[in-house]
Amino acid sequence: MGKKAMIIVCILVAASLPLYAGPYFLSVFNTIFVYMSLSLTWDMMLRTGQLSYGTAGLFGLGAYSSALLVAKAGVHPLLSIVLGGLFAGVVAFLLGFAVLRLRKIYFSITTLALTSVFAVVIRNLPRLTGGASGMVLPSALFSGDAAKNYWMVFALALGVIGISLWLSRSKTHYAINAIRNDEIAARSSGVDVFKYLLFMFVLTSSIQGVIGAFYAQQYAFVQPEATFSMNFLLLPLAMALVGGVYSTSGPVVGAVVLGVVSEYLKLIMPYGHLVVYGLIIVLVVLFMPRGLTRFVARQLARRGRVGGADRAALGN
Amino acid sequence: MQAAGSAKRLYIYTAALIVTAIIIWFWEPTALVYGIQRGSLYAVVALPLALILGILGVLNLAHGEFLTVGLYATYTLFRNYGWDPMASAVPVSIILAVVGIGVYLLTVRQVLKAGHLSQLLITFGIALVLSELLKSIYTTQPRAVFTTYSYAFTRFAGVRFGIYEFVYLAIALGVLFGLQLFLKKTRLGQATFAVGQNPTGAAIVGINVRFVYLFVFGLSIAIVGLVSAFMVPRVSVFPGAGTPFTMKSFALTAMAGLGNLNGILLAGLALGILEAIVNAIPGGAGWSDVVVFGVLILVILSRAFRGAR
Repeated sequence: MGKKAMIIVCILVAASLPLYAGPYFLSVFNTIFVYMSLSLTWDMMLRTGQLSYGTAGLFGLGAYSSALLVAKAGVHPLLSIVLGGLFAGVVAFLLGFAVLRLRKIYFSITTLALTSVFAVVIRNLPRLTGGASGMVLPSALFSGDAAKNYWMVFALALGVIGISLWLSRSKTHYAINAIRNDEIAARSSGVDVFKYLLFMFVLTSSIQGVIGAFYAQQYAFVQPEATFSMNFLLLPLAMALVGGVYSTSGPVVGAVVLGVVSEYLKLIMPYGHLVVYGLIIVLVVLFMPRGLTRFVARQLARRGRVGGADRAALGN
Repeated sequence: MQAAGSAKRLYIYTAALIVTAIIIWFWEPTALVYGIQRGSLYAVVALPLALILGILGVLNLAHGEFLTVGLYATYTLFRNYGWDPMASAVPVSIILAVVGIGVYLLTVRQVLKAGHLSQLLITFGIALVLSELLKSIYTTQPRAVFTTYSYAFTRFAGVRFGIYEFVYLAIALGVLFGLQLFLKKTRLGQATFAVGQNPTGAAIVGINVRFVYLFVFGLSIAIVGLVSAFMVPRVSVFPGAGTPFTMKSFALTAMAGLGNLNGILLAGLALGILEAIVNAIPGGAGWSDVVVFGVLILVILSRAFRGAR
């Protein structure tokens, strides 16, 4: 009961943030929710056992398609966000037939290569996309109203959390867990491996596209370097790892913790503050493969002399 | 490290490459020359990545960042002590070997048995730590080392081209020859070969597998250091300078097939020449990056569809 009440309080506090917080805090939490959503999608794909390095690529595709729709076709920004997600989803669907036949390092490296291909192609179509200098949209989403933008990204993040929770209660959850643990066993038990992989790939890619499209509309700006930045891969990845992979709570907690920490770090070390993310990734993989939330939970459980049943994370 | 019958294929590919090269020579001679130079560089950088992947089974995503560390080490020796980059080759290899062994002992060794997810994540984290550390020490400002010999040129059959970068071809051949000799003729090399084939079996017959892993990792990173010293006269040194080489190296390894060291040189030359051709096409300069990634994706996919993973 206490847990439920705490979640409701958290949601209420977060939802009412624009009423009492200043613009700086709003922008910090706005960014945190963007990364939180990406982190959840990265984790959802990881639950199938496939480590994707393509988060930034689909994010960028969504951003660019939405920006182009607004700038060249005069589509309403909100509709363009939906269409941006749809476009990323369609691209993922088509690529999925090839990419999802790959496993392990081959899947990861191909998704990483695809991100670069997207960025290079967009940079080399200056007439359409503005090339390397990017493109500025005539007006930002909600005319740049910080509170409305915040509520929008908050709603998106809640939606992604909802999808993630629904997934962990659905039949799909058992199927993708089975695929992750032993693909051959899953296949022989009648799980249509490719179908589930394709579903997860398209789902997570569409969400990444929507988040990218929102990001582009919010700042009314797209540029290959900034839009396909490795940060949109790196930060979500570190957040999910810190919070604990294969869960909904992990990326959420990780995003809040790392988001706040990184704001502080930016202030004290302007050059190379990302080194902390690298160290976090290395240290978590080495010492806390179950992530921060489960690490803390276990410490608490040990203190209360209640045995916690841990499942080995990342240990396949 | 070669399957039976692949020697024949090697000759076929070599012959095909030579024929293509002659055709390109008549069409766009400089593209051929620069393609060979760049391609040799790609190949010699890819060899250590392939070695680590082949023997340890770990894809080192920090490969390019080790190269960047080497570039900065060479640059620092030049700036602080006035050492010529070529003269720094040996000290930089030693520095890199030490760095590599340190990184191996602290991190990579712990995840050798942990599965590919942990390995991919940890080497990705190492890449980030290395490049961000370099950023915090040297900032992002590009540095350069000027030497008089690096822009020497020559004329051949009426075509004028730079000759310094042929040093990469020499190093590539030297490293390749040295590695083959090491793997075939020395005791440690044969042990390494055995570990690459079957680590459990190698351990049973009394090979110190852990030492072989340590040695291979250190040796590979030392080779990266050697190459980086020779690169410094011609490239600008910045924190992201080595990063693209990770993907290029993996592309070559995938093209050649795991364990085929000779194939990497051929694949490197093919990729280098292809890139140079795309660069030579008017308006194609921006697209040459797509060549690498496109080739990489096509090669990986074609292998997947043929059922070979």
